[in-house]
Amino acid sequence: MKHIILSLVILLSFVGCDKTLQPDPIVQITDRCSSGDIVIKDIKERQKKDGFMQAQITGMNLTDHYFKVEYSVIWLDENDFTIDTILSEWTTIPAYPNQPFYINVTSPNTKSASFRLYLKKEGKIICNTQSN
Amino acid sequence: MQHTIKLGLISTVATIAILTTGCAPKTQNIDIHNDKEASAVMGLDYRDFQSAAQDMTQSLIASGAISKPNGGRYVLVVSRILNDTMQHIDTDQLVKKIRVALLKSGKVVVTTAVGIHGAEDQMAMQTRNDLRGHEEFNQKTVAGKGQMISPDLSLSGKIIQRNVTVDSSTQQVEYYFQMSLTDINTGLAFWEDEKIIGKRGSNDSAAW
Repeated sequence: MKHIILSLVILLSFVGCDKTLQPDPIVQITDRCSSGDIVIKDIKERQKKDGFMQAQITGMNLTDHYFKVEYSVIWLDENDFTIDTILSEWTTIPAYPNQPFYINVTSPNTKSASFRLYLKKEGKIICNTQSN
Repeated sequence: MQHTIKLGLISTVATIAILTTGCAPKTQNIDIHNDKEASAVMGLDYRDFQSAAQDMTQSLIASGAISKPNGGRYVLVVSRILNDTMQHIDTDQLVKKIRVALLKSGKVVVTTAVGIHGAEDQMAMQTRNDLRGHEEFNQKTVAGKGQMISPDLSLSGKIIQRNVTVDSSTQQVEYYFQMSLTDINTGLAFWEDEKIIGKRGSNDSAAW
């Protein structure tokens, strides 16, 4: 019996140590407590003829009220190094009640190979822990 | 008696000084990456310039106007950016950010040898005038004639301010950032855009 328990403990401790990092999703909603208000419906990307990368993210305001969405795009080169640009500053767009909103972004240069987009509702969000 | 009055005066002044110092807002550095908590101001501040520059750059790059059809880079000159507001603004607060972003795009290079008020960097021209033929300088290292590249594109713009009275205690200030990119060869505007920043606040707030 002792052996079984010991084996289980060892096995569990190994499972606990397995922290294999999952690849980051392309689009992340960063304020988790209000993520139920926003849903990402579509992500499109393409390389334009002039070499710039273009992306369109379609989100949806699931609530009955208007709010603004803030987003920031981090552009990465082919080696996954970030590209320093003014275009990564947080930007706001309107999200109308029960309507989709569109985020259109173009890369800062032609060396951009991929991107990560972070978005949240504008302003300070106070989580209601009971409802979440 | 006189001594007592003097002492009283000194202690009063000291008390006032201490109280005043205690009430003064503490000076602190702004975290420019997360400055949302600070209330907006009626005038234009760095957040407005950053936002306008970002939107203009995004629009400019997305338009494709800075991409030469056969590859290579356009040469850009910064023309007049008119400050038509009541504020003392150095328009470089806006233009420099756009210039840096365009340079980093790899599609545009900016000339500082030409400008609306003469060369932006006068040294480029002065070294030619002063050093050409100067016997103290190795003439092979002096910039030769006909080496400067003339601009293909010109970036111009205007910042407009409009004040509107909402009611007896509220005013609205509208700022219009307008920019154009002109093909110097044809005189045609390849790109134009406008960004509006509106602020509403107390009549007591000064917008200059």
